[in-house]
Amino acid sequence: MDTGDDEGFDGTEFAEIDEFDADALEEELRRAAAVLDPLPADLLQLAMDAYVLHDLDARIAELTFDSLVDAIPVRGAEAPPRMLTFQAGGLTVDVEVTGDGLLGQVLPPQSARIEVLGGPAAVQPLTVDGMGRFASQTPPTGPFALRLRTGEDVIVTEWLRA
Amino acid sequence: MSSGTLPSTAYDDLPYTRGGTVDRAEVGALVQCAVDGDAAAWKALVEGLSPLVWSVVRAHRLSDADGHEVYQTVWFRFAQHLGRIREPEKAGSWLASTARNECLKVIRSLTRLLPTDDPQVLDRVSEDRTPEQSLIDAEDAAAEAEQIRLLWQEFEELGDRCRQLLRVLMASPPPSYVEVSVALGIAVGSIGPLRQRCLRRLRARLDARGTV
Repeated sequence: MDTGDDEGFDGTEFAEIDEFDADALEEELRRAAAVLDPLPADLLQLAMDAYVLHDLDARIAELTFDSLVDAIPVRGAEAPPRMLTFQAGGLTVDVEVTGDGLLGQVLPPQSARIEVLGGPAAVQPLTVDGMGRFASQTPPTGPFALRLRTGEDVIVTEWLRA
Repeated sequence: MSSGTLPSTAYDDLPYTRGGTVDRAEVGALVQCAVDGDAAAWKALVEGLSPLVWSVVRAHRLSDADGHEVYQTVWFRFAQHLGRIREPEKAGSWLASTARNECLKVIRSLTRLLPTDDPQVLDRVSEDRTPEQSLIDAEDAAAEAEQIRLLWQEFEELGDRCRQLLRVLMASPPPSYVEVSVALGIAVGSIGPLRQRCLRRLRARLDARGTV
């Protein structure tokens, strides 16, 4: 059970001294974190570079299904493929991520040019058939997004960690 | 237990930013400038809010590789949604909550969560010390480094709840309680009392060790 001294919030002198101590200790922790657990410089730089990913002309296909969150866990299955569904208006993109690569389908079926984005500077085109089925032999490592060009439309799926 | 006391007023008057270098009130304006093509505004957003994202990632004790990927995912997605974020002035909360969700996904995807290797974290102190601090006043520096190391060690040994909360609170600039709330999924009203209790617990551990 907690001791009653947790409740000293009513402006008594004791509470004020206690509050001051807490602030000082939090400040000490802040200094310690800066030394022992700082944000790595290369990560800061990546976030800076991410500005180029800002594209007002592209539509965002929102993640509407993620097997990691929405699916019932499969008992015994070693590494079930990650199933993802993205939607932008009437367009749906189904994606399956396995250890062997990417597999997917644009719905309604249509031809599209599709690229896998791996970061601010990494772009890799995918082979797509006339029905909008696509595949890649290289599984995405780390964050990725798909950029689709269908006719005059550019659609980018929400960034996600594979 | 004085359960009749409502502690809300005590932390309601804490400033929203709690003294950070980036004025969170200006975050909305920075987001708008970045939308309009101002790269300097984006840079300011990243500099001001990166430590918050990092602290949320670290609070969830992911492996370095997973944590780095979550951090990148959060910023890539933020860049992608820039201009579509409904409340730009709450970009900090948007980032904190996205970071939390991504961390939880990583945890869900792992059969077993591997906590950060403490000795590895502590190794960074010695790495930091060797080249630079040997040049300055060795005794003082060593004493200070030792003090920081002890503080960190006691912090790491706190219970999960306290360790998580304090890891986010110690971001620099200090996050608002709303940001902490969405970063950890705890009610804003619980943060003040919980913070107080956790810091008191940490203080007690340090006192028991005879350190300042």
